[in-house]
Amino acid sequence: MKQTSDVLFQDKKMGFFLYLIVEAIMFAVLFATYIIFTPASQGPDPSEVYKWKTVVLTSVFLLSSSGTLLIAEKGLEKGNRTKIAAGLIATFVLGAIFMVLEIHEFYKYVHEGYSITVNNFLSSFYVLVGLHASHVAFGLGWMILLMVQFKQKIPQRLFIEKHKIFNYYWHFVDAIWVLIILIVYVPYLF
Amino acid sequence: MNVPFVGQVPSDIVVSWIASALIGLFVLWWLTKYNKWPVIWEYIRTTHHRKIGTMYILVAIIFFIRGGMDALFIRTQLAVPENDFWVFQSQKYNEVFTTHGTVMIFFVAMPLLIGLMNVAVPLQIGANDLAFPYLNAVSFWLFVAGGFIFNMAFFFNAAPNAGWTAYAPLSTDTFTTGPNNNYYIFGLQVSGLGTILTAINMIVTIFRLRAPGMKLNHMPLFPWATLLTSFLILIAFPVLTIALLLLTFDRYYGTSFFIGEMGDPVYWQHLFWIFGHPEVYILILPAFGIFSDIISTFSRKKVYGYTSMVIAIAIIGLLGFMVWAHHMFTVGLGPLANSVFAITTMLIAVPTGIKIFNWLFTMRNGVVRIRTPMLFALGFIPTFVIGGVTGVMLAVAAADYQYHDSYFVVAHFHYTMIGGTILGAFAGIYYWYPKMTGKVLDEKLGRWHFWLFLIGFHLTFMPQHFAGLNGMPRRVYTYSWEDGIFLLNFISTVGAFLMGASMLFVAWNLYKTHRLTDPVGGDPWDGRTLEWSVGSPSPEHPFEPVNQVDRLDAFWHAKVKGEEVPKAEDARPSPIAVKTLQPVILSIILVFMSIGFIYHWISLQVLGGAAVIAYLIIRSITDERKEVYEKEEEG
Repeated sequence: MKQTSDVLFQDKKMGFFLYLIVEAIMFAVLFATYIIFTPASQGPDPSEVYKWKTVVLTSVFLLSSSGTLLIAEKGLEKGNRTKIAAGLIATFVLGAIFMVLEIHEFYKYVHEGYSITVNNFLSSFYVLVGLHASHVAFGLGWMILLMVQFKQKIPQRLFIEKHKIFNYYWHFVDAIWVLIILIVYVPYLF
Repeated sequence: MNVPFVGQVPSDIVVSWIASALIGLFVLWWLTKYNKWPVIWEYIRTTHHRKIGTMYILVAIIFFIRGGMDALFIRTQLAVPENDFWVFQSQKYNEVFTTHGTVMIFFVAMPLLIGLMNVAVPLQIGANDLAFPYLNAVSFWLFVAGGFIFNMAFFFNAAPNAGWTAYAPLSTDTFTTGPNNNYYIFGLQVSGLGTILTAINMIVTIFRLRAPGMKLNHMPLFPWATLLTSFLILIAFPVLTIALLLLTFDRYYGTSFFIGEMGDPVYWQHLFWIFGHPEVYILILPAFGIFSDIISTFSRKKVYGYTSMVIAIAIIGLLGFMVWAHHMFTVGLGPLANSVFAITTMLIAVPTGIKIFNWLFTMRNGVVRIRTPMLFALGFIPTFVIGGVTGVMLAVAAADYQYHDSYFVVAHFHYTMIGGTILGAFAGIYYWYPKMTGKVLDEKLGRWHFWLFLIGFHLTFMPQHFAGLNGMPRRVYTYSWEDGIFLLNFISTVGAFLMGASMLFVAWNLYKTHRLTDPVGGDPWDGRTLEWSVGSPSPEHPFEPVNQVDRLDAFWHAKVKGEEVPKAEDARPSPIAVKTLQPVILSIILVFMSIGFIYHWISLQVLGGAAVIAYLIIRSITDERKEVYEKEEEG
């Protein structure tokens, strides 16, 4: 008989990858929406809204969080609990800083009069980037739960399974951010 | 009608309140008197594929009654010119055809097929359950929650009224104020999520849980159709999710994606049909799979041209994504776009034609036995061909300017959706009924059902082609004597009532079968595929030990040799079944959260969101894998 946990993990992995395809299609539609409606025929142009500093800063924090998560993954492979904890906490902190910067960015835009209803460029910007931000927020909550389960006495293989699934999620969210940089920001910043 | 404490309410809604209360009381009394509560308690906590499949079908039938009543209201209102039947005029009529369409597509056709997939697919591939039993329960209860939300609208006098396509700008809050179309959005969002999760479950099951030795091309055609359909769901449904999300922003948060100077109503049409056209193939491909299995079983022959059948399904699925703009020929996309989409649409007739001929060739030289499931399959072939022919007519973009939005279109899609999907679902229910309940439905009443339904169907929809060609537009609640379409409409109405009457035979059949007949064995039809090698109804762990399969129709070939299907030595572990109330609780939370959104009650939205997060946390820490993995680590 094959090892139960291994087979069930492979099932779950495949299911989760299929789910990520679903998510990818949802983001693809929102990217298309953004491309169609930007720049808008009236109201502010993206080039006057975006600040390159914010984009660079947020990107640094979020993309490096994918790197620190690799530390945790190394720890998982080697069974090194310190590495797992350090990797997870670092990832959480970087993700949280990204979240703060993102909220600050939205807040500032709204303050400057660039709210979601002003024109269709801003509408599609907020829906797309907002959906991504809510994914980051969800991931932060997920990490807290993962850390609680790390402390608890759950079977090691179950923890590894849950951790790995989270890793796929987090890397996926990062990949979407790279696309956001390339499609949303870069064409109007440089 | 003036109701004390409530105010002015249309009388049909008052009648429905009273009727629902009476039926509800009767059901409560019946459940208590016959001591059925333990059964209910068992079923709402189950994660077993057969039980969930059966519940899908049961709930779909309840929605079928609702959608069918809407259809009869529509037909009664249109029976004679300048009619004023009850309340079903103008805005009320819009509500009736909107709910009829939406309910029939999302809450009848989809769950009937998904229910049959749940019952049959794991057994046909030799699996003990779906890959994720818990997730399957979640999918089912999300579908129930979505259906509940959508149907609730009517009882609060706020049924959606922008058509099942919810075309913008009509569906935005500028033109349809009030909560009506909010119900549409949230009903579809919740049930749509359930459908996506089912698709994931089916794909993983088919890829990873097939019996040892069973290659993909050893599978019967229903699992094949399920696999390819699941991929279509995986790609099409997220597009609907985002389209509805954007519509939500337009209706709730002041954006203007689909309306106004900056917005683009045609963008909604694109998004909707990028989802919507694959959706109609999502509805028809599983029916093709069911018919293939049934025709093969009742002809005592291997299905003709197995490989070409699989390839045909795949090509139909692929082309299904390249034809969406044929719903938009009259929008003005230009001659180039119209030509391209016309050609891709016509191309679909080729693989479909291959399938039709393969079914006929399967019967040729076969030992054909005409039992109820086979009868439905035989009724399907000519009916669906008519629907296909009018489909090619509609694909001629220039001619479509004449057909567009007329009753010709209504006739066409009912020939494909009823003639294909619904006949397929009926055939599948009669065919797999023993696997669900352990009994075979009565043959004679089944025939009554079939003939009345089929004759009623053609009487209803054949004249609508001509009404359409004579200029009758769809979605109108009346017409005049001068239009010269009275007779066509009247025949149509008679046919609709005949179809309604045929459903009474189903009710009679269910009663008679369960009261008067004895249980049957595992293989009542002399079947070919693995589901007939296990008991009826299928047991909780049907394949222990699992089978070793090395060819198509393995059970048939073992039977011919007078042997059992060989057992496998080294099988993979089965998925973990649990008993849990969590999926039901999630669906209740989502109903309340949706109400919060529908009526703009922000505190209920926040509360619902918090409850969902709490659910996810509880789900994660009560994971059923915990126990299993613990045992593994000890051992």
